[in-house]
Amino acid sequence: MGADMKEFDVIIVGAGMAGLRAAIDSVKRDQRVAVITKVHPLRSHSVTASGGVNAVLDKPQKTKDDPFSGDSIDMHLQDTIACGHYFSDTAAVETLVNRGPGMIKELERWGCLFSRTKDNKIAQRMMGASSKPRTVYSADKTGHVMMNTLYEQCVRLRQNKPSQLQFFEEWFVLKLLVINNTTAGVIAMQIATGKIEIFTAKAVIWATGGIGRVYGRTSNPLTNSGWGVAIPLYAGALLKDMEFIQFHPTQLSGSHILITEAARGEGAVLVNRKGERFLEAYDDSKKDKELSPRDIISRNIRREILAGRGVNASCVHLDMRGLGTKKIKTRLPGVQELCKTYTGLDPARHLIPVTPGQHYTIGGIHTNEKAETNIHGLFAAGECACAGVHGANRMGGNSLLEALVFGKIASESANRYIAHKPVKTLKSNFFENACFEEENKINYLLSHNGHFRVAEIRDKMHEIMDEHVSIYRDGMGLVNAAKAIKDLKNKYNNDLLVDGPDRRANYGLIEAIELKGSLDIADIIIHAALKRNESIGVHFRNDFPVYKNRSRHSLSKINKGKIKIRYIPVKSKNKLLKTISAGTILVKK
Amino acid sequence: MKEKKYKISVFRFDPLVDTDYHFEHYLVPRSKVKTVLDGLIYIRDYLDGTLAFRSSCRQGRCGSCAVHVNGGYGLACEMPLKPGKNVIRPLAQLPVIKDLMVDMERFWEKHESIKPYLVRKTNNAEQSYENRREMEKMIDCILCGACFSACLMTGKNPDFHGPAAYVILNRFLHDERDAIQKQRLDIVKGENGVFRCHSMYNCNEACPKNVKPSENILEIKKNIN
Repeated sequence: MGADMKEFDVIIVGAGMAGLRAAIDSVKRDQRVAVITKVHPLRSHSVTASGGVNAVLDKPQKTKDDPFSGDSIDMHLQDTIACGHYFSDTAAVETLVNRGPGMIKELERWGCLFSRTKDNKIAQRMMGASSKPRTVYSADKTGHVMMNTLYEQCVRLRQNKPSQLQFFEEWFVLKLLVINNTTAGVIAMQIATGKIEIFTAKAVIWATGGIGRVYGRTSNPLTNSGWGVAIPLYAGALLKDMEFIQFHPTQLSGSHILITEAARGEGAVLVNRKGERFLEAYDDSKKDKELSPRDIISRNIRREILAGRGVNASCVHLDMRGLGTKKIKTRLPGVQELCKTYTGLDPARHLIPVTPGQHYTIGGIHTNEKAETNIHGLFAAGECACAGVHGANRMGGNSLLEALVFGKIASESANRYIAHKPVKTLKSNFFENACFEEENKINYLLSHNGHFRVAEIRDKMHEIMDEHVSIYRDGMGLVNAAKAIKDLKNKYNNDLLVDGPDRRANYGLIEAIELKGSLDIADIIIHAALKRNESIGVHFRNDFPVYKNRSRHSLSKINKGKIKIRYIPVKSKNKLLKTISAGTILVKK
Repeated sequence: MKEKKYKISVFRFDPLVDTDYHFEHYLVPRSKVKTVLDGLIYIRDYLDGTLAFRSSCRQGRCGSCAVHVNGGYGLACEMPLKPGKNVIRPLAQLPVIKDLMVDMERFWEKHESIKPYLVRKTNNAEQSYENRREMEKMIDCILCGACFSACLMTGKNPDFHGPAAYVILNRFLHDERDAIQKQRLDIVKGENGVFRCHSMYNCNEACPKNVKPSENILEIKKNIN
């Protein structure tokens, strides 16, 4: 055998916003860093983030004539916690809002092209659930400019310290190596050549993003299969709050490409078939209308459609015509381009058909405010992690911030860990055996000629998740979904067909490997949703429409194929300041 | 009723096995697909799982899926399939790894050669409103590689940086905060540099994001004179 072994101090898996930020920090601390990513860093989904990133930059005195003045870090904290239905861990939110501004200014120093105000300050806009305009942006291409800046800094570091930073682009991670609850490294396959290698490291930082492609109707990229979160799960990592899946109110009908919340922040409104602003008719969105939290708007769009007032059976209209051509061109050029390309409509002149769809994974790998997981030497940041920042519903503009802040924190924690880690040499046959196992799995997939193509099983999974594990859930539907997923797992294990025989550049093979993770993650979401007999934030149960006020996070793991779920209390310092309305029951007509 | 189908012909080549490339022809039901990328995904999902191509965001933002379709470059996820024939080829000027997947290494090497990062002046001043506005049209490049492939010079001259690298270079030349603009010009003023561009405008035509690399190149040339 004797697969090649590469040695590093820190391995970072994933090169989106969190991964790159972690890489920059670790290189600056003189670690030898490997970034392993299945796509080129600039192809990561962080580049599509449009709306912006929240941070309180300076604290102008509150003035009478400007209702938007007088923002504060504490207000950012309160907004985040209220939007998350008091389900956030306060220490994690404090870390987020306190360290956020510094991270934005640092990006600005690195050359990031944020939009600016006429007095040369970084511009900020309103987003949903914010009490002040504090979302920093660059037109509607915020993720694109931020990712470019982070990548530029990586290029600069690599040119200055070539031995410190190596990118393994288009390497697909197969396994996280853990021994005695301590990370030892990862096994990865180079997609182009199919060769499998071992990467050892003192610490591993996980930053693989969301799991949206477990659903069919999602704004997530084709690459967010769920495999990224499944790898640490298989290695023993706990997953937190997986039942909390955010559905974004405005995705293009059909393609489910996201129309940013910034469109509503700039003044776009949602209307039904009759052209009425229907959000005003619902109690929970009466006050803030289009700028209400996302969970509320998504539910109310769904209700409007089911009441027969949708534009058709699946969508309502987003009306941006009131913004005017100039504002759309300067503030939302990306939205205009997307609408034209994928619907043939111009938002300056036409109504845009939109519908809610899966958007963000609030749950994820169980971490704390230091980005530590339950496995020694494994740290996680960004959408794949769940430090408890977003509570039961994420506020728009907080995800990019979370990726930046916790990406850096994960690296800081990893470096602290490395400094105190006792040196242990592992027997090399540990690595060789693990490698041998992975080779066997792949050979089995390529040689086993079953009846079901990956796409057939995946499409069926999408159908189940879209139907039963969506904005409105109920016990019956979830039980049925669990049964159906079990059936799909059987088909996957016993009757799968993967085209081969070569593994070089075989994306069909990669998708087959990933599908196992998708099915397990789907199963966990269903079981966690079934077990939470209450409604809060994005998790709404028609059969249990009230919040029982128990404030506890779910922790899931897989043991010999069986899902086990237990609960830990939410660590909230904030007393409930107002009663939570869990939302309204969906009445099917 | 017979289901209507799109005809898709895809460039297939495995350099380690095949002596030459060939085109494979597929029929894809029109009700299931809209874009070229949809078509490629359908082929991989249901007809041939070994077809190699890159894709990710499927909304024209990540730059993974740049290909050549019916005589022009673009992003597979943005180009609609057409009735009649759809002939899909990989990006030119770059070695094929397999099928539509090309080795982008030379492209990224050129991108890095122009020092694509801000080197700040010591005064640490913030960017002005006017300067940021001036740069609005330069920030849209997603480094998909379409222009690099459409360019006739990148194929002939391995040292030529290519249109995308010049767009990024011009972005830094316009940045009032940058301290090494002279050094940047030195990198590209040599005989294999920016003056090798003969203004064929192929890059402008190929760019799916309407970045207009040719105009950026002209600006750089003016800066050198």
